[in-house]
Amino acid sequence: MTFWLLLTVNSITFGGLLFLLSAGFSLIFGLMRIPNLTHGSMFMVGAYLGTSLLGGTSGFTLNFWVAALIAAVEVAILGALMERLLLRRLAGQQLAQVLVTLGVSFMAADLCLMGWGGDPISVATPPHLAGFVRVDGAAFPLYRMAVILIAVVFAVALWLMLERTRLGAMIRAGVDDPQMARVVGIRVSQLFTIVFALGAGLAGFAGIISGPILSVYPGLDQDMLPLALVVVILGGTGSLLGSFVGSIIVGFIYNFGQALLPELAYFVLFLPMVLVLVLRPQGLFGGQIL
Amino acid sequence: MANSALELHGIEAYYGDSHVLQQVSFRLGEGRLLGLLGRNGAGKSTCMNVSVGLLPPRAGSVEVFGATVTRLPPESVAARGVALVPQGRRIFKSLTVRENLMVAAHAGFATSHEPWTADTVFAMFPRLAERRGQLAGYLSGGEQQMLAIGRALMANPRVLLMDEPSEGLAPQVVAEVMATIRKLKESGLSIVLVEQNPKLVFDIADDIVILNSGRVAVVSTAEQLKSGGVDLRQHLGVF
Repeated sequence: MTFWLLLTVNSITFGGLLFLLSAGFSLIFGLMRIPNLTHGSMFMVGAYLGTSLLGGTSGFTLNFWVAALIAAVEVAILGALMERLLLRRLAGQQLAQVLVTLGVSFMAADLCLMGWGGDPISVATPPHLAGFVRVDGAAFPLYRMAVILIAVVFAVALWLMLERTRLGAMIRAGVDDPQMARVVGIRVSQLFTIVFALGAGLAGFAGIISGPILSVYPGLDQDMLPLALVVVILGGTGSLLGSFVGSIIVGFIYNFGQALLPELAYFVLFLPMVLVLVLRPQGLFGGQIL
Repeated sequence: MANSALELHGIEAYYGDSHVLQQVSFRLGEGRLLGLLGRNGAGKSTCMNVSVGLLPPRAGSVEVFGATVTRLPPESVAARGVALVPQGRRIFKSLTVRENLMVAAHAGFATSHEPWTADTVFAMFPRLAERRGQLAGYLSGGEQQMLAIGRALMANPRVLLMDEPSEGLAPQVVAEVMATIRKLKESGLSIVLVEQNPKLVFDIADDIVILNSGRVAVVSTAEQLKSGGVDLRQHLGVF
């Protein structure tokens, strides 16, 4: 019984991390039609930058959450630069975007390898969250509970931003009909930069807060990117609700798959993606952003 | 002669390799209503797309109140005071009625008229006010058309382009839309009204331009056309 409960908590935690990763991926694809294959790199770069801020390699040691926020902002800035300097020039050329983002993801992986070496870096759980919650004989790691809480808070905050603010309405208008949005005077190119930076920042933030669970290692980017793809295809691109539900589903499939059918973990993971693409290509919640 | 609100000069426009507009020139005087007529495929909507910056012309120029806007991006053309009620309405379906108006809000070029806000748009279209919280995709065709007009007004434009606002609407709704256009004209707005049905335009327009196969076939005042100087059937087909 405890095994199942723990597996469930782990699945939800992982789903929460996936949501932080894929919400941005989905928004970027929904608004800009850019399949951003650097999204896994942003996750990994955020994690590496965070370890430097935490580990004192930059000469000082920060509180975990401060380090996580700074890493997220740094990755958001990198994302904004990438959108302005590279992707803007390739508007509407999806194949070129795929190739450029894929290329940049390999370059980022090399730079990380050069900067942080090939050994996995473990990230200590923040001391105040190192304990366990004991329920009925089972012990749940406090940190994982905190990650779930953070994911829920971010989901609500993103929902409020999209649903209740003028900026959010403009983003939804841009997803609905980008040409018409420009005709009514919305500066869609500015929205692109904002959304791209926001998505990158969320991915970077997810990267560092996943450190205590996954640790940071070369190849983390290519481990995470397919998961984000599966989430977004399951949930439907451009849909926040889809990302949320898709993340939880993938969190469960991934964790249960690895525990019960370890040799088929990827088969079990990608099968639903293949089925959705064939049977319901718009995804479970495709075509609606919220 | 009144100032030009919008002037197209020698426009050459292409969709891919197909040459859609050839040497198209016309001007909309300030405070006037220009009816742009022509058959299906004559290039009317293309003129609108060129005017708002959606389709950059290969040659020729577009001027708004004397300032060249050729090849500016659509959001910059909008900032110069040009608003479009597009063909097929193209309201933002996943936004509420109110949000459709809010995203387009701009101080713009409020004239003597009190500036357009969501409240003044709702006062003009009470049916939209009743549905302000509803998703625009659930509105009827007539309501969507009113929303498209309201959205265009929210930018407080100087030039209003209306691309077939009567398309697909019931006759009494068409009458309502035409009455609204008349009111807007009386408020001093400069308007281009694109239509396939000339009967709707002749009563309300000051000037008429007829396009035929991507070229300007007729430029005239509505008065002259009504008095029968031109054989309309030759340019517009039988109706």
